[in-house]
Amino acid sequence: MREIYLSGYSNFIIPFMIGMIFVLSWCAIGAVRIILQLPADDRKKFFLSLINPRIMLKNIRDWFCDCLFHVKLWKRNKLLGYMHSSIAFGWFMIIVIGHIEVFLYTPERMHQVWYPIFFRYFVAVTENTMKGSFFFFLMDFFLLVILSGIVLAIVKRIRSRFFGMRRTTRASITDLIGLYSLWSIFPLRLLAEGFTADISGGSFLTKSLNTVLHSFLSDQMNMLPTWWAYSIALCIFMCILPFSRYMHIPAEILLIPLRNAGIKVRHARKGIAKLQVYSCPGCGVCIDACPMSAVKANIKDTTVYLNRQIKRYNERRIEEISDKCLLCGKCTAVCPVGVEGDKMRIAQRSLRKYNLAPSYANIDENILISRCNKFVNTSNTNVTSSKNQKVIYFSGCMTALTPAISKATTSLLQKSGISYEIMDKDGGICCGRPMMTAGRIEQAEEMIAKNTAIIKASGADTLLLSCPICYKIFKERYDLEGIEILHHTEFFDRLINEGRLSVNKEDKKYAYHDPCELGRGCGIYDQPRNIVNMAGKLVEGEKNRKESICCGGSLGSLTLSFEKRKALTENALNNLRIASPDTIVTACPLCRSTFNRYSDIPVKDIAEILDEATMKRKR
Amino acid sequence: MKEIVVIIGGGIAGLEAATQLLKLGYSPIIIEKNDRLGGHVARWNRLFPDMTPAKDIVDDLIASSKDANIFLNTEISFVNRLKDSYNVMLSNGISINSRFILYTTGFRLFEAQKKEEYGYGVYNQVLTNADLENWFNTDKDKRISGKDIRKIGFVHCVGSRDEKARNSQCSKVCCITAIKQAIEMKEKFPESEVFCFYMDLRLFGKKFEDFYTKAQRDHGIHFIRGRVSEVSENINGQVIVKAEDTLAGKPLKVTLDLLVLMSGMVCNPDSTKAASMLHLPIDSDGFLQSSDNVFHITSSPRKGIYYAGACTGPKTVPETLAEARSAVLDIHSEITAGKK
Amino acid sequence: MSIFGFRISPSSAMNLDTIDRSRFEELCRIEPDAARCMSCGACSATCPASEFSGMSVRKVLLCLQRGKEEEAFRMMNNCMLCGKCTMVCPRGINTRHLILSICRIYDKEDKR
Repeated sequence: MREIYLSGYSNFIIPFMIGMIFVLSWCAIGAVRIILQLPADDRKKFFLSLINPRIMLKNIRDWFCDCLFHVKLWKRNKLLGYMHSSIAFGWFMIIVIGHIEVFLYTPERMHQVWYPIFFRYFVAVTENTMKGSFFFFLMDFFLLVILSGIVLAIVKRIRSRFFGMRRTTRASITDLIGLYSLWSIFPLRLLAEGFTADISGGSFLTKSLNTVLHSFLSDQMNMLPTWWAYSIALCIFMCILPFSRYMHIPAEILLIPLRNAGIKVRHARKGIAKLQVYSCPGCGVCIDACPMSAVKANIKDTTVYLNRQIKRYNERRIEEISDKCLLCGKCTAVCPVGVEGDKMRIAQRSLRKYNLAPSYANIDENILISRCNKFVNTSNTNVTSSKNQKVIYFSGCMTALTPAISKATTSLLQKSGISYEIMDKDGGICCGRPMMTAGRIEQAEEMIAKNTAIIKASGADTLLLSCPICYKIFKERYDLEGIEILHHTEFFDRLINEGRLSVNKEDKKYAYHDPCELGRGCGIYDQPRNIVNMAGKLVEGEKNRKESICCGGSLGSLTLSFEKRKALTENALNNLRIASPDTIVTACPLCRSTFNRYSDIPVKDIAEILDEATMKRKR
Repeated sequence: MKEIVVIIGGGIAGLEAATQLLKLGYSPIIIEKNDRLGGHVARWNRLFPDMTPAKDIVDDLIASSKDANIFLNTEISFVNRLKDSYNVMLSNGISINSRFILYTTGFRLFEAQKKEEYGYGVYNQVLTNADLENWFNTDKDKRISGKDIRKIGFVHCVGSRDEKARNSQCSKVCCITAIKQAIEMKEKFPESEVFCFYMDLRLFGKKFEDFYTKAQRDHGIHFIRGRVSEVSENINGQVIVKAEDTLAGKPLKVTLDLLVLMSGMVCNPDSTKAASMLHLPIDSDGFLQSSDNVFHITSSPRKGIYYAGACTGPKTVPETLAEARSAVLDIHSEITAGKK
Repeated sequence: MSIFGFRISPSSAMNLDTIDRSRFEELCRIEPDAARCMSCGACSATCPASEFSGMSVRKVLLCLQRGKEEEAFRMMNNCMLCGKCTMVCPRGINTRHLILSICRIYDKEDKR
């Protein structure tokens, strides 16, 4: 080991140091501000999570898996995954190995932060030793990995279709500067190390490059300019980073522990929401995922553009994008960094000020209670009822307009000999979810309180729902201790398993559509499929489960007009028709009526097909 | 040789056109996809405003057009445009060359089950205007026969004037049909109460208003201005209908033994298919587009192609017959002009 | 003036000459569909809030046009934004957004 410059300093490190100090202080201030913006209880929760070993382990695992290896991206698209993880993990390893080298060879230089970055310039290590050549090899190897990633990135830039991405975001000017500086960092490093390799030593990549370079550029004078260029490229990248999408690199590091601490979006523009905005890498996965993208004009209303507009404080567009969204949650489900596009939009809507605020204090719940405490006992002699279950069935507003569903549901309840009562047969109070999605949380809470009182007073032990919109809010926001909340798909699946409903398989192909609120919203994917498989042959749409496409009828969107939803519904229908089913089956009254409007094949609720399949047996 | 005219559709418009063409000495060919002639009218019982039996009209038309070439159970496979004529290829393998094609493809009744909230196909008490006419004709319908019917409701505008049902046009004849059927039901069930739920009463034709007055005064039929928006069932096997009495400004609920949905006239997809073979324009309401809606309602923008009847929009029976004659006259004029 | 719950006014007739419709015009600029209502009453019949506060989108629109804003606000007080009215409207009016816009534009305190 030999140090070439005793001072351990050269002027070319100045750009690097400027960039480094700038970006680190920017991120530190940002992190402190975000943590201060958190509500006090959330902040406490966050600090406590940092001393919880289980959460900390999860943090470490997520840092590696998400930030370095991009596991989620790998699962989605192998090429894209390789491209990202090669650059991220390769760069990380180069930094780590650089530090190890400094630590091993020149521990007294550890305080000179530029030393690991420009190690080859300052220190000549004889690559003859085993240790030396090993590190040289590692450094060259990871540089090669990064360069392969960069080549892929350039190919993607030119032809994004190679990566199976139909649409990507339009890069802004700062993104482009960041992109080009990032691309140039590593070739410049290779060049710089290549020029230096005959002095400092090198391995398969740098050494051979050195030989090639020296065959026509023998002048040692080329060395310093390339190191300058490398340092300047680093400086440009780090200085542009806070203003470009590359901000996602540091932002994600903080987002992971906050998320693991269980902190939820509460304010649309503060705390974790703000961090999510900056964590958005602008990859555009949400553009292809968004059901609204079926119409080209809606592309700029996807989550990636919402994040961009929030960064630009373009209030008019932020409101437009927030109000238009169907809140199907697919962007959240596919986002590789965990930006919650749907929750952010609801939070944004809740910031709006209204002059008129509805209130439900005048509604006398006792009248409503008196309507729903006479449980119909349908004890059927054929069915042996094991337990004395009392089911209260809240059909919901949407089911009132699709009587086929409520009729099939009550028929199935009667067949299985369960005593039940319909909570809203003569009207009632809405579950609150539509109000919640409009951002009027206070009003929604009032409705929740009223319904809670009614359900508790009814004496039921099970709350049955046929509408996933209701189901989601009942699961998430209602506190009904002792009362089990079930969607009819869960309930009927259980009844079949318990042998209380016997199903006759029909020779029919059913394509099952996952309603947004039931699938992505509540994670119910298997129970409906079990039922469909019992009643007939289940076929899948091209996109299914987590990736199912919203029917277009969602109440989530405040501004999307009736005519503009047609194209979205037709797109979702085409997705379901791929296996040419006889019937499209769904488990949501709103999906059913939306699809039914435009579908040329019958659309039914899962309760209907189950009711038909159980009817056959009786004859 | 006699001039051949191809008539697509063997409903009343097609039959009347064939009758007139035969009188003028031409050779009409009727292509009908069903196994019988007369279209929708043949399925109806009696026609407003004189309660003429539909059967009489259809029988007369079939008798007077019997010398025409009629292909039943036949569809059009494709149509080619030649220099100054058309080559029509039929599904039975026959090929016809003709200078004239008359579209009398008619309409289709709105599928009432698409209005899910009315529960057609779900509730046993809900039927359509066509079902009711079928019952008048055959006396067979499980939903009516042998039941104690005391309260009957008619819902106007089912699938008409409804953007949600993808038909924003008025079907023209449902108001008067509802009144006709209400009177007929009242005659069959004199003890019953009959309610008509309408959005606007559009009674434009000759003697229609008299019919309305008769329904109010002589039969005591209740007219409620309000669109039905919810139908539910009670345990006694009756349906509960919810609407707003918009004149009183109050929500209204009524329990009924029978609910009749006045399915509207919507464009016929077969008509659209046949039109697309010759790239004929389709109007925004889905019906065929005439070259002019005032002066040339029976002409298409294409030479030799004519329209008659409900293929260009909802029509009454007399209007359809008048259009059929008018289209024949157009064809006749064009032929004689060419001979000069 | 209100005595024994009855409002005493010089005439129960609505005078279209004196009604200030600037607010409604503002609403129509944001919600052009507000003018497309054909008063079929489907929204009122299906509304779950109608049994509590007499809510009816049709009547709210009418009241706002006729200068009876107080009455409209009273009806809207129990609106649950459930979207049934949007579902049944034959004209495809986005009633939910319409209601939210009314809540934003109009003000109880504001007596112009």
